Amino acid sequence: MKIIIIKYFILTFTLFLNLALLTGCYDHFPLDQDISRTQNTFFNQDSVEVEFPELTKGKITLMTMVFTHCPDICPMTTHNMHLVDQKLPDKIKDDVKLVVISFDPNRDTPSVLRKYAELREYDFNRWFLLSGDDQNTKEVMLKLDVKAIFTDSTYSDDGELSYNIIHTDRMALIDQNGRLRNNYKGSVANLDEVVEDIEYLSK
Amino acid sequence: MNLLIALLIIFSNPSDKVKIIDPWMRVGAEGKATGLFFKIENNSDKADTLFKAEFDLAGKVEIHETYDAGNDMMGMREVEMIVIPSKSSFELKPGSFHVMLMKLKQDIKKGDEGEVILFFKQAGEIKIKAKAKEMMMKKMEHKH
Repeated sequence: MKIIIIKYFILTFTLFLNLALLTGCYDHFPLDQDISRTQNTFFNQDSVEVEFPELTKGKITLMTMVFTHCPDICPMTTHNMHLVDQKLPDKIKDDVKLVVISFDPNRDTPSVLRKYAELREYDFNRWFLLSGDDQNTKEVMLKLDVKAIFTDSTYSDDGELSYNIIHTDRMALIDQNGRLRNNYKGSVANLDEVVEDIEYLSK
Repeated sequence: MNLLIALLIIFSNPSDKVKIIDPWMRVGAEGKATGLFFKIENNSDKADTLFKAEFDLAGKVEIHETYDAGNDMMGMREVEMIVIPSKSSFELKPGSFHVMLMKLKQDIKKGDEGEVILFFKQAGEIKIKAKAKEMMMKKMEHKH
């Protein structure tokens, strides 16, 4: 009787193990969400109309959403993307693109985004800074689960509207097939982990 | 001897006892905002308070705190002051407290230098020079 119970236990355990392997429990990435089913229209830093994520199709994309008035978290995140890019082995650099989309498109026009990138010496062959209308911006935010809450709105003496934005601190990794594979806390991401993930996708 | 010590205490500059270490500011574009970071060392016997800062190249300067708003969201809010207890230090650093330089009057590029005046309740005005860079301090580049 004991032997039958042990056999039954081993069989059940083996079945569960196989099931776990088949369902991808041991997948390298926690996410596998196709974000390429719909496209969104943006303007890049040269005011050229582009479709995202079609823009980086066939490439690995490291991306974030920011606002350029942000003095702290957003530049920390784009700086981390820059550091990841610098850490990548030369042989896979051509396979990787870096995308920054503004969730404050009314202030972050293409020329503003260009200036943001120029001050930080980003290579425009590999970096795309995108600004779009509210609808396209919101749709991408929904896809990537990025939230932005506008706060502290005030008019200064010269009549200029200023406001702050509480926002998701996010860096996202999208594979060559337009599938979201991982999210990182952008401002404090473990850069070695991001590099390893990119190298894994490039194999 | 005692008289000499007494005179030294009376006439010593209080700002000698508050030191600003490694000031730097992040690059920023004209019209936008950026952050100024540094460490304050209060070597005096009294607590001191940073309550204001001025920077010629900014239309507005405030003391701010970046905070965790929950659900992976980050926010920022103005703080009226930063109190540094006696014989202690306080670091304004990325992702935390910083002096926010707003409405920049010109681009601040890598290597640019600007003079900032910090106002303390005890130490009075302290002038510092901060250099611009994008790079955060090494320890902020997390490796786990």
